[in-house]
Amino acid sequence: MTLKTLLNNILFTEIAQGLKLTLKHMFKKKITVQYPHEKLTLADGYRGFIVHRRYENEQERCVGCDLCEAICPAKAIRVVGDIHPEFPERRYAKEYTLDFTRCIFCGFCIVACPVNALAMTKEFAHSSFTREGLIYSKDQLLALGDKCESESIAYLKVRNMWGAEDSGKEEGRYHFPPIPTINAGG
Amino acid sequence: MAKVTINGIEVEVDSSMTVLKAAEKLGIVIPTFCYHPRMDPAGSCRICAVELEDSKRVVMSCVTPVADGMRVLTESPKIHDARKTNLELLLLHHPLDCPVCDCGGECPLQNMSFAYGATETRFESHRNDEPEDIKSDVLVFNANRCILCGKCVRICDEIQDVHAIGFINRGFDTIIGPPLGKKLDCEFCGDCYEVCPTGAITDQFTRYKYRPWQLEKQQTTCAYCASGCQIFVETENEAIVRVTSREGVGPNEGSICAVGRFGFNHVQIPERFDTPYMRSLHRLVPATWEDVLPEITARLDLIRKKGTDRVAGLISTRVPMEDAYVFQSFFRKVLRSNMIDSGARFGFMNAALPLVSATGTLRPLVDHEDILKAKVILVIGTDPVAESNISGLFLKRAARKERAKLYVVDSEAITLSTRAKDHIRLLPGGEKLFVSVLNEEIARNGALSPDWTARKEELFKNWNVDPGAYQRLVNDLTSTETGIIVTGRKAYRNENGSSIMNSIVRLIGSLGWAGKVGSGLFLLPENANDLGVLMMGGTHEWLPGLINATDPSSKSRWESAWGRRLSYGNGGSLGDILKGIEAGQINALISLGENPLSHFPSGSKVRETLAKLDLLVVLDLFQNELSDMAHFVLPVSSSFERGGHFVSAEGFVQPIKATMAHWGESLPDWEILSKIAHGMGESLGFESLESITAEILRFLPDLVPSSRNGAHYQGPTGEITVPVMSKTPPHKADRESVSVKYAQWQSGTVSANGEVHPILGEGDFILALTKSLFHSGKMTLMDPNLMEIQSEGKIRINRQVARKRKIKKGERVTVRSSFGSCSMIAEPSSSVAEFEVLFPSHFANEVVLGLFPPDLAFDRETGVPVQHRVRVFLETQNPA
Repeated sequence: MTLKTLLNNILFTEIAQGLKLTLKHMFKKKITVQYPHEKLTLADGYRGFIVHRRYENEQERCVGCDLCEAICPAKAIRVVGDIHPEFPERRYAKEYTLDFTRCIFCGFCIVACPVNALAMTKEFAHSSFTREGLIYSKDQLLALGDKCESESIAYLKVRNMWGAEDSGKEEGRYHFPPIPTINAGG
Repeated sequence: MAKVTINGIEVEVDSSMTVLKAAEKLGIVIPTFCYHPRMDPAGSCRICAVELEDSKRVVMSCVTPVADGMRVLTESPKIHDARKTNLELLLLHHPLDCPVCDCGGECPLQNMSFAYGATETRFESHRNDEPEDIKSDVLVFNANRCILCGKCVRICDEIQDVHAIGFINRGFDTIIGPPLGKKLDCEFCGDCYEVCPTGAITDQFTRYKYRPWQLEKQQTTCAYCASGCQIFVETENEAIVRVTSREGVGPNEGSICAVGRFGFNHVQIPERFDTPYMRSLHRLVPATWEDVLPEITARLDLIRKKGTDRVAGLISTRVPMEDAYVFQSFFRKVLRSNMIDSGARFGFMNAALPLVSATGTLRPLVDHEDILKAKVILVIGTDPVAESNISGLFLKRAARKERAKLYVVDSEAITLSTRAKDHIRLLPGGEKLFVSVLNEEIARNGALSPDWTARKEELFKNWNVDPGAYQRLVNDLTSTETGIIVTGRKAYRNENGSSIMNSIVRLIGSLGWAGKVGSGLFLLPENANDLGVLMMGGTHEWLPGLINATDPSSKSRWESAWGRRLSYGNGGSLGDILKGIEAGQINALISLGENPLSHFPSGSKVRETLAKLDLLVVLDLFQNELSDMAHFVLPVSSSFERGGHFVSAEGFVQPIKATMAHWGESLPDWEILSKIAHGMGESLGFESLESITAEILRFLPDLVPSSRNGAHYQGPTGEITVPVMSKTPPHKADRESVSVKYAQWQSGTVSANGEVHPILGEGDFILALTKSLFHSGKMTLMDPNLMEIQSEGKIRINRQVARKRKIKKGERVTVRSSFGSCSMIAEPSSSVAEFEVLFPSHFANEVVLGLFPPDLAFDRETGVPVQHRVRVFLETQNPA
């Protein structure tokens, strides 16, 4: 044992060195977020909960095409298509369930969607006491979409999917028969 | 012959062949949209372009005949560009709504665009925004997606011969649809929707309900009529979504009728029995198999100990061969009863009995291929298009494409009569006279006895038979190389059905067709497995293999095969069963899907008779009059849920497959009967369906499964392999042994003054119950899809008569016979004869049956109930 190590041992230099960093931070700005009371600003394009979107006339966008179900790697989506009860020439999703216990938030479904009916939001903390509580129906997804409309639009814009479909231009990715205008809430 | 080189491979082909077919022979695939193997080429889609190496020209392979020394390239940069440009042009107006299009995922246009990378267009155009034509309840026409290949129009014209749709407008505005923008009114076979290479034609029943990649496809045999069509049942999560066909597969070659294509939904509706029911305090209450089976077993055990023939059995002819085999084994071995009868007794037995005594077999002498080759075809006592649609298609094709001389003898103008050389429109009631005179004329070579001459005169005078047409028919029948007589339901359901069929069978012998290859009788059974159930001994006359059940020497053959003594009684048919129940000699009845109550008017007291039973067990899918009376109702599997084999009209023994999940607690018939037998301490020795099939084949090896155009598809999912032409083992009757038997049978003479059952009652019209094209028996009345196509029975009446009587379409008329009256909706039709009114038998409920004579009358020879027609008056209901 040399003199130097002996001194170090007696004077607790190592502890002082460690405490130096701690002391330094006592005078810096705090970075801890008090989560439930404080929230971080998430970036646009954050892959949070998936929602259903509507057109400006309140009509749901989803056409029940099953493409999201087909591409979903976690098999979290189930779509049952049928003839729209009001417009017999339209297809719609009679049942749409998204199982968030299975969802891996990859965002493939949003890419696959031909009508931009799906988008991701900055919602991430939906919890439930049961597994069933995390299986969302179309109505729940639409309600969530209404709540987070600006976030979903921001997601699509950032992910480069805010395309012709939404800008109202003629050359969309797909072309569907024109949707009859109906009153809001119809 | 011509020698052509395709992609460097030399091949020698017939010089009438097209380049496309020559390439097909080499196994080279050329993409097509408008080409269809069964139809004439159109050359309208321009996608099958190939390059001729010498002239550097691009030609359409489907319309270009081969020439000697031709050198063809099916793939080259030039061809690739040509096809790609073509696709770009096809996609110009195409809406690209693939995500919501039912065809998306199985669309040839989609696949081709993907393969050729036609993702961008260099042309300026607009997308079409025509609204869809959803007027029809069955098919939807979307003009935007149409690429005008014309396949649908051509299949409707050339194959179906219905001409229901066509091209409307010219140029860019051309669309496909029914003429004059009307609602589609056709046979609803759905072949147009099947062949459409895009989603331009879709159907209302499955519209938007599936995506092709989710469906699991299984090949099975259609369980409605006896055409033996091979259908593909597509399921999602073991529930049936749609039924399709595949080009070239099966005896139907890819066409199926409305009933086969759309009639799949009745097996998955909540009305179906899903659990056993048991009578308790005059009510049927749901029970479990564990409750029900010991109870039935105990009660049956008591009854069978009373003696032989104490339990009667009825079996529907829609069950597979295997179930019929177990049914008769159960009755003959366990219950020691021969009081069994099948649904064939309501008509088909009239045909089966003379046929079996004449030929020794129920297998036909001719099949659909012979129909196409025949020079003369006589259609008598049947409407093949309605009764056995696919046989009807072959007859249409024979008359139209193969130029066969087609004669139709019928009071009604059936679909085939417009294609016929002569339509002999005799008056209803003269059928028996017609065939017996025709047979005598041909048998005696025209030298008729005075008695018969008088009868022939009567035919011309009283029954409206045109002498010229009659003579032409006789001349053609006697002089032809190959001829076929087609007969069916109207003949054997006639009040003189037994003697009509006897005369027709005799006629085949008189013409010498028994020994003539390609000639003979083509009999159209009513249900999918009439032949199979009878071959399996489903009636008291026969043991399996059509062996006489009461003759001790033939009985001993089965006794030694089964290794046990058969000590059943003499047995009897439906009439004897009813008499036996009335007399208290029969105490129990087990019905496998057959409902005798629906065939007899309430005045005939069948209900009262059946009420005397100590035990009535009904195995059925749906609630009906009989199940309401039953002590036990047991749910059975439908033909979509079980395996087995059906024997088609052509004699093919074709398998059916379990394609959907078992409905509730339902079980196949054979399993239920085996369980009951087991409970009685007797084993039938069947563990599985395969063991039954194996036993049948061990004793009756000629029932080895056979089919035309395609080995049966095996496996749960995926693609079906290219059909293999397999025809072994033979499905037709052995001509040599048949002609020998025929010669022995043809000995007796027929008296000119034989007994005739008259049409009873009085009135201006003769009411006949016919088969509708859109229904099959009463089961299809439960089908939501088919009920959408035809939801109610309308009485069809001659248009001129209706006009004279001021009866308008859709108006209610009172139909009154000597026995009852009822109200029906009138439908004037140009095809019905002046003195006849027709009503679809499927809708003949208690009220309609009340028009018929109430006394139970059975044919003396065949035991078939005789009332099938009655004279009625028509009265308009509105006095104004």
